[in-house]
Amino acid sequence: MSSASVAAENTTIAVRGRDSLWSKAFYKFRHDRMGMVAFALVMAYGVMALGTVFGWWANDWSEIRGGRFDPISADFWFGSNVNGQDIFARTVFSTRTAFEVGLVVAILSTLIGAVLGAVAGYYSGSWIDELVLWLKGVLDSIPFYLFVAAVAFAMQGSAYGMHVAMVATFWTTTGRLVRGEVIKLKQFEFVEAARAIGLPELKIVFRHIIPNTFHILLVQATIVFVAAIKSEVILSFLGLGVKNGVSWGRMLAEATYEVGAGHFNNFIWASLFMFGLVMAFNMFSDALQDALDPRKV
Amino acid sequence: MTAPVGKKPVLTVKELVIEFQTERGVVRAVDGVSFELYAGQTLGIVGESGCGKTVTCLALLGLVPTPPGRIVSGSIELNGRNIVGLGDREMRNIRGRDISMIFQEPMTALNPVFTVGNQLCEVIRRHTDATRRQAHAQAVEMLAVVGIPAPAKRMGDYPHQLSGGMRQRVMIAMALSCNPSVLVADEPTTALDVTTQAQVIEQMVLLQEQFDMAVILITHDLGVVAETCEDVMVMYCGQVIEQAPASGLFTRPSHPYTAGLLASIPRIRRERLQELPVIRGMVPDLLSLPMGCRFSTRCEYADQRCQAQIPSLRTATGTDAAVACFKPLGEA
Amino acid sequence: MEILQFALRKIIGGIPLILGVTFISFLLMVYYGPDKTYELLGKNPTAEQIESVRAELGYDQPFLQRYVTYLREIVTLDFGNSFSSGERVNSILKRTMPISLAVITPGFILGNLLGLVLALVAAYHRSGWIDKAIMGFSVVGMSISFLIVVIAFQLIFCSSYGLNWFPSRGWDVYSLSDYLRFVTVPTMATIFVALGYNTRFYRAVIVEEMGRDHVRTARAFGTPPAQLLYRSVLKNSLIPIITRIMFSIPLVVISGSLIIETYFGIPGVGKVTYDAITQGDQPILKAVVGLTAVLFVLTLLITDILYRVVDPRVSLK
Repeated sequence: MSSASVAAENTTIAVRGRDSLWSKAFYKFRHDRMGMVAFALVMAYGVMALGTVFGWWANDWSEIRGGRFDPISADFWFGSNVNGQDIFARTVFSTRTAFEVGLVVAILSTLIGAVLGAVAGYYSGSWIDELVLWLKGVLDSIPFYLFVAAVAFAMQGSAYGMHVAMVATFWTTTGRLVRGEVIKLKQFEFVEAARAIGLPELKIVFRHIIPNTFHILLVQATIVFVAAIKSEVILSFLGLGVKNGVSWGRMLAEATYEVGAGHFNNFIWASLFMFGLVMAFNMFSDALQDALDPRKV
Repeated sequence: MTAPVGKKPVLTVKELVIEFQTERGVVRAVDGVSFELYAGQTLGIVGESGCGKTVTCLALLGLVPTPPGRIVSGSIELNGRNIVGLGDREMRNIRGRDISMIFQEPMTALNPVFTVGNQLCEVIRRHTDATRRQAHAQAVEMLAVVGIPAPAKRMGDYPHQLSGGMRQRVMIAMALSCNPSVLVADEPTTALDVTTQAQVIEQMVLLQEQFDMAVILITHDLGVVAETCEDVMVMYCGQVIEQAPASGLFTRPSHPYTAGLLASIPRIRRERLQELPVIRGMVPDLLSLPMGCRFSTRCEYADQRCQAQIPSLRTATGTDAAVACFKPLGEA
Repeated sequence: MEILQFALRKIIGGIPLILGVTFISFLLMVYYGPDKTYELLGKNPTAEQIESVRAELGYDQPFLQRYVTYLREIVTLDFGNSFSSGERVNSILKRTMPISLAVITPGFILGNLLGLVLALVAAYHRSGWIDKAIMGFSVVGMSISFLIVVIAFQLIFCSSYGLNWFPSRGWDVYSLSDYLRFVTVPTMATIFVALGYNTRFYRAVIVEEMGRDHVRTARAFGTPPAQLLYRSVLKNSLIPIITRIMFSIPLVVISGSLIIETYFGIPGVGKVTYDAITQGDQPILKAVVGLTAVLFVLTLLITDILYRVVDPRVSLK
């Protein structure tokens, strides 16, 4: 057999192994009742968020329609806030903000983590690896909220300071996991074979190695998604969060001034909706890990 | 089996059935296994991986992971006492004192954060009323018995400071430290290199005589079985398919599967290099076993009856062997 | 002697990390940060006044020189005066650090200890209903935002809408009973938030260790459960446990107390940092970032030494 066909053969083996991993995972996930319920709930939140994008509901979140702290009524399902804005509309619209923050941060940090982790792992021991590890160590050592504040300062109040800071710090865990996996994958025959037939190294990394870490990336992305939504709340409380718009974090930050005076609507509804999404996402993420990681306990 | 006259067996296993709950259904890993074992005797259990040999032995120590595993029926009598269904506390008193086990991987079988001496003394003090000093003395003695040079010095070593062969000797010392009546050795030499293998096996044979223990040796190495065992039990898909004195089994196997296993041993002295015969086909999935004889899907002699009925263990004509086959070799 | 050599090597090895941390934060926070010149000046300042303030703040110097000044500040542990209060940063830190430690320590210790105990219980009853209940609670705990917990706990324990047992804000501590009055609710909130994550992490570590060969060996020699958990499982899982605890120290001290102290009005480092963030008080931020980086390197060092203590296979080479 020529080395090229060996490589081809081994690649198909690797690919086939991957296919069976995914089809097994899909089967397992389908039979995970909690996971499916959680997934359905996440989807429901997704529809809620999409509805605001298409203008079906909750686009009057910033309109001042009522009085100060109106109670729950047919007009204001969740009451109104200090400015007379509809808390129901604000709660629903915040779902969209949560998905925006979560998706942007999850996707970008996963991409960066995958690329840097794979490159570091592929060239493990070289200066490239050292550099990535150093960068990871540095970013992990800066207190997160200070880092966000610093980025917010540096970006002169841009609405995306928070996103940038989260992406810059959240990729490190993904990067570490991918690096470890790549160091393992590197020893497999299909990589050796790809190298033997002279494929360019970057092509090996991107075409053959990174696809074999997708199961890690998917799970990590869900974890980062949750982390981003939760961090947004704290950052909004610190005045570093979502700038133009409404979010559960901003509602909770407002609520910190209101609960003492007995106005609970902002607090209760933002908490409940946020808890629902985060809980569903956590369970969905767990089910994914169960399905995808044979070693997970 | 070769039952010594007038002696009582130390271990009697009767109709043992063990099932495992898996995601795809219930698997019967051990299906009606029976055997007896006498002091000073060595029983070899051979078979491919997944045939139930390790699970059988774990059951002897009450170590079948429950759940998912479960002993469904059958009895295990150790020194005349049925240990199936014993409580945790009673079982713990038996383990290491009446029955001990040596495992396959000496590299990982010892606790890495305690010294060898500490681990040995621990076992001795748990099962005897030895004082710290007595336990220490006995531990040193045990290390000497299993052939470890400078045993007093080795007591303070951590497992990672010893070679694989040394670690397995430590395991043996630990297993013998309370003078058990039965020693179970699960592929004790598989992970060692060839010369060390021979030394460890030789040591085990010596010690067995010295301590007059009954030994169960699980292995896939038929050469080791031929050297050490009086009796051999061949397992296939959870069932015993042949049980015979080693001498007879190697010269005149009765079950076609046993014959297949023997034929697949490479023989260096064979005049011409020829391709090794292999047993065709694959071990069936324990979840979808054939209706009749479990070997029927791979057996070249199988007929309709073999495919429909499960043969029970019976004495093959003209031998000391018990065989579960309708058409044992040499009888047809 | 071996330890000293090792420590020296580690500290030298930690220099790139400190340089990285300080450089990035300096670049972002100080160089691109807000210009404080006009805040420190009266109305209609003259050109000379502007000049002198800029010189005082160091704005007139080139970038590299300002960074080197910052490094010198870290080495000498002297960060100058706060922009907003004019107080020496060192004396601010000296005053607030003990308060932060007093606030955060009980919750940190109890959160890890309880998490470990719950994890051991869950892992021992693996797949049983006890395990499922504990893991269910920890997912719920992980899904509730810190801010929500803090607000809710304050409502429940410190307000007239709830039990009203504890003061809602402040830190008037002169005796042990004062301390307990002020520290209880923040501690409960810290434990509640950390418990879910800790339990899950420790359970995963313990379950993995329980599957190891040497644990099976111990069982095969009749080791009773308590000893099995202690000698075989816990002793062997100490490396990941130590790693987690040690590495959360620098971040918990800063980030954890930030929210607690701000919300409960406790004058600790977290509150000072929060105020510094909102007011752009650079000397304080520089001090906090620099000290955290140093703390990280020291943590790395101590962690490595601890590894050596708990695992004979680790050498200090």
